[in-house]
Parts: sequence; C-alpha cells; structure tokens
Amino acid sequence: MKVMVCLKQVPHQDAKLDIAGDGAWIKEDNIKFEINSYDTYALEEALQIKDGAADTEVVVVSIGPDRVTQALRTALGMGADRAIHVNDADAYASDTLGAAKVIAAIAKEESPDLIFTGLMSEDSNFSALPPMLAELIGVPSATAVLATELSDGAIRVERELEGGAVEVVELPTPAVIAVQTGLNQVRYASLKGIMQAKKKPVDVKSAADLGVGDQVGSGAAKVTLDKIYPPPKSEGAEILEGGTDEVVAGLMGKIKELGLL
Amino acid sequence: MGTILIVAEIQNDKIRESSYELIAVANGVGGDIKSVVIGSGIGDQASDFASKGGGETYVVDDAALANYTVDAYGLAIRAAIDASGADLVLLSNTPQGWDVAPRLAASLDAGFVSDCFDVQAAGDGFAFKRRMFNGKLDAEISSSGGKVVATVQPGATEAATSGAAGSTSDLAVDLGGTSAKFVEIKQAESTGVDLTKADIIVSGGRGVGDPEKFPEVIQPLADALGGAMGASRPVVDAGWLPHPYQVGSSGQVVTPKLYIACGISGAIQHLVGMKGSNFIVAINKDPDAPIFEVADIGVVADLFDIVPALTDAVKAARGA
Repeated sequence: MKVMVCLKQVPHQDAKLDIAGDGAWIKEDNIKFEINSYDTYALEEALQIKDGAADTEVVVVSIGPDRVTQALRTALGMGADRAIHVNDADAYASDTLGAAKVIAAIAKEESPDLIFTGLMSEDSNFSALPPMLAELIGVPSATAVLATELSDGAIRVERELEGGAVEVVELPTPAVIAVQTGLNQVRYASLKGIMQAKKKPVDVKSAADLGVGDQVGSGAAKVTLDKIYPPPKSEGAEILEGGTDEVVAGLMGKIKELGLL
Repeated sequence: MGTILIVAEIQNDKIRESSYELIAVANGVGGDIKSVVIGSGIGDQASDFASKGGGETYVVDDAALANYTVDAYGLAIRAAIDASGADLVLLSNTPQGWDVAPRLAASLDAGFVSDCFDVQAAGDGFAFKRRMFNGKLDAEISSSGGKVVATVQPGATEAATSGAAGSTSDLAVDLGGTSAKFVEIKQAESTGVDLTKADIIVSGGRGVGDPEKFPEVIQPLADALGGAMGASRPVVDAGWLPHPYQVGSSGQVVTPKLYIACGISGAIQHLVGMKGSNFIVAINKDPDAPIFEVADIGVVADLFDIVPALTDAVKAARGA
C-alpha cells in the first residue's frame, strides 16, 4: 500500500522568536528549524505500517523554502521512500485552505491508501489542514488520533476527547488521519538510514506544476495574518529577583503565608 | 450587518457551556444571530438555547446523530449554513469543533480561523485574535468579505445567560452517503494518581530534561511539601511519566492551593489544566515563557539551582 505523510518544518521549540519588519511573521534567519513534532508522530505511524508490510511505500510531502530539504532528508533517513517538496513562495504564503489545495493536488496525483499528518503545526497552531485536505479529496478524516488499527479497507482510530476519554471511530480507507503527540515512540534516523537517504528521490514542484498556481498565495487567501506580537504582559507574575538563597527565602515566605508549612 | 450561525454542541445530553459563550461572542460581533443544535432527542436543549439568545434555532434531530461523526455532523451543519445564509459560522474549539470546522470551510471555499479568543466585525469582514507559536505570540487575522468559519477558545468569553427570545424550527437533512462509523466512547480508566485532591502539586515539564530527574529533583520537593507530583504533556508523550501524571486539557484539571511549575513553558493545553490553582509559582529559565502570565510568583532561573535548595529549606523548616 501507499502511505502519504504531510509534514511541516517549523521553528525549533527553543528558538528565540523575533518579529520580522513587516510585523506579520517571525524573523526566519538565524533560527533553527525542525520537523513539527506532531508530524514526527505521523511519520512514525506510517513507518510502522511499513515495518509490518515491506511492500508499503511511504511518501513524505512538504511545502516551504529551500531549508525544508533538510526536514525531508531527515524523514527519508528515518525510513520514508521518497519526498515531494513544493518549493514555491506563493504556496508557502497561502492561508491554510490554499496550502490544503496544494496538498490535495498531490494526493490526487499519488492516490495514497492512507494519509497521516500531525494534528497541528507548532507555528500557526491552526489544526486545519488535515480535515480540509480530506474534504477537498472527498475522504473521511479523524483528528487528535491516539491509536490506529488498520484492517482491510478500513482504519479504526481512537480520538482524544477531554479528561482522558477517547472516542473510537471506524473509517473506510483512503482516509486522512491527524495524529496527536504521544501515540507512538518516534524513531531516530540511523547513520545507515541517513546515508541511504542521500540516494532517495526528492521531487521538487511548484503550485503551477500541480495545476493550482492560481489558488495559492496571499492574493487567493480568504483570511490574512495582519500582525503578530508578544502577548500583553499586564497580569504577569511578580518576579523574585536575586540569587538562589534570596529566591528560596522569598518562596519559603510565600509558602508559610499560604499556611502550607 | 450579516448573519452569524452558532453551532451549539451537545455533551452528556446538555448543551456545552462553551456554546453559550458563542452567543456572547456573536452579540459582540453584532448582526442577525441564528443557531443550530444537532443530536437525537434534543428539542428541549434547543429551546433553551433559542431562549438564551441563540435566535432562530435550527434543530437537526435524528437517531443517526445520537453520536458525533465527522461526516454526518458535517452534513447537518452544512445544511444549517445554507438555510441561514450565514456570513460567519462559529463553533467552539473542542474535539468536535476542530474536527469538523475545517471541513466546512473547505466545502464552502471559505476563510477559516481557529481557536480565537476575540472576534469583531471589521469593514466588510471580521477581525480575529488568537494565539500562535504555542502561546508565545498573539496574532490578528482578518477577512475582507466572503464567508468565514471560526472556532472560539472555550472559556475565553463569559457565557450568555439571557438574550432576546428566539424560536426553533426542525431542519431535515439527508444523511445518506456517510462513511465514518461511531464505535464507542471509552472513559478514562481510574488510576492511583488523583491530582485533583492534592493541596500542593509540583509539576515538571520539558525543562526537566531527563526522566531520571523526576524522582531525583521534582518528587523530593513534592514529598517535602506533602504534595503530589505532576507533569506537562511533553513529559508524558516522551514516556518519562505515565499519563495519570499529566496536568492539562487532555489530562487532569487541577485546582490545588499551591502549584509549582518547574521547567514548564506553559502551552495553552497545560494552562487550561492548572490556571484555576489558588497560588501558582513558575520556575523557568526563559523569561518570555507563557507560564509567567498565569503565575503569581515567577523565578527566572535554572530549576536545578532552585528546586533542590527549596526542598532543603522546606525539610529544614519541618525539622526533617
């Protein structure tokens, strides 16, 4: 079977985020990027299918600038078979629906049996692309998935609800499965895997190549990100200053005041 | 002024509090408010919603809708959108809302914004505020005409308790052709760890850095204070501690007298689970960590300097 995995490269979790000159995005130079953590779980879920059925082909797909090559090479090093890189400034500047149309065009060309993605990206936090993609290609979807069980022509999934409850749903395949973090143990790329990855194909495409050139970019977007800024700091914490001894004395005073000592 | 359609959500036979919050959000935007309530045997709930400001309320009542599935509920909501002629569709950002809302936007070729904490009318469209980058930055997003589907962060707005009396009307929807099959809901298994009863919780996050450090550094402070140990999601995802220790929207929601967050940056899903605590202490190296926004006292320092010293001081004070 063929499994497609959508992944996004996002700023490293510990990257210091500065606002770019236009006020609408972060400065991307001089920060480290990594594969969106949710998407690493999506990739692992696909690779586990391949572990169990060697004739499985895992295709990783990403939209973004040149730096994304590194994320795709990492995914290939972990065991994916080939990659499709939409390296197109307009596609990257799209709103989520525009990006979903690009991925949908790839899905129509590839006709995978299953599509795995992460529940959300850690930069935009939109959680929108997977269900949009499913709608655009006319297949069922499930989000916040904590467990999967694949059978012939169907996939049974556990969706995370609130307070530790889960909802079990069965979907016919093909389907789009947006995974929650923690559903598996993500593997590392081995040295051998990284060496082999160098020979694996990375297909670079534009939105126009995929027939959706007129549906991407800020001009086609239905919503616009106007401004990003640090959250207002009005009700922040009282910060205890000083060395360790001073800070500990301050904390002890507060714990006593609360009547907890 | 356009039309707003509120998608109310049933949970345990009642309309969720967050759906009543959507009425308040819609009142703030202004315009003609309509609503849809979906389920099986939900006429009374729909009447209550209509009477509290839900306006003209469509009732899609069908045995096949007794449990949520993405495609059947999608068809029902889509029918209500078409019947209402809505310019703005509001859902709560809940496990149902985030599952179905993006599909609706794609089917309508409409704009989409998720997890907003503020929605206003602006020009020919709408203006939204939401968090991005795991809560590190806020964002303003706008539309300029055309339909928009938006989900709203539960708890971001006070719920409406009264409003102009509305009316209900049945909306028949053809649910043929759906393929997702509801199987069951499994409730959380009860375990030995019940953080909801602890007076003091000392939680560790990704900043603890190493599973070994939980028994070595975090647990001793919890023990010295006579409290319990908790953790944030990344710790549980990494397998450092089992799920019962997780504090947050998908773990335990806690309200202790004292909550000490060590090396926790403060992703929204964690804040939801602990911001009701009586007193919050945050210890983190990053002065910009969102946890400091909800904390009463913050310490910008290495937790490995502070926590062991605090543990010793507590023990000394207790004469242990």
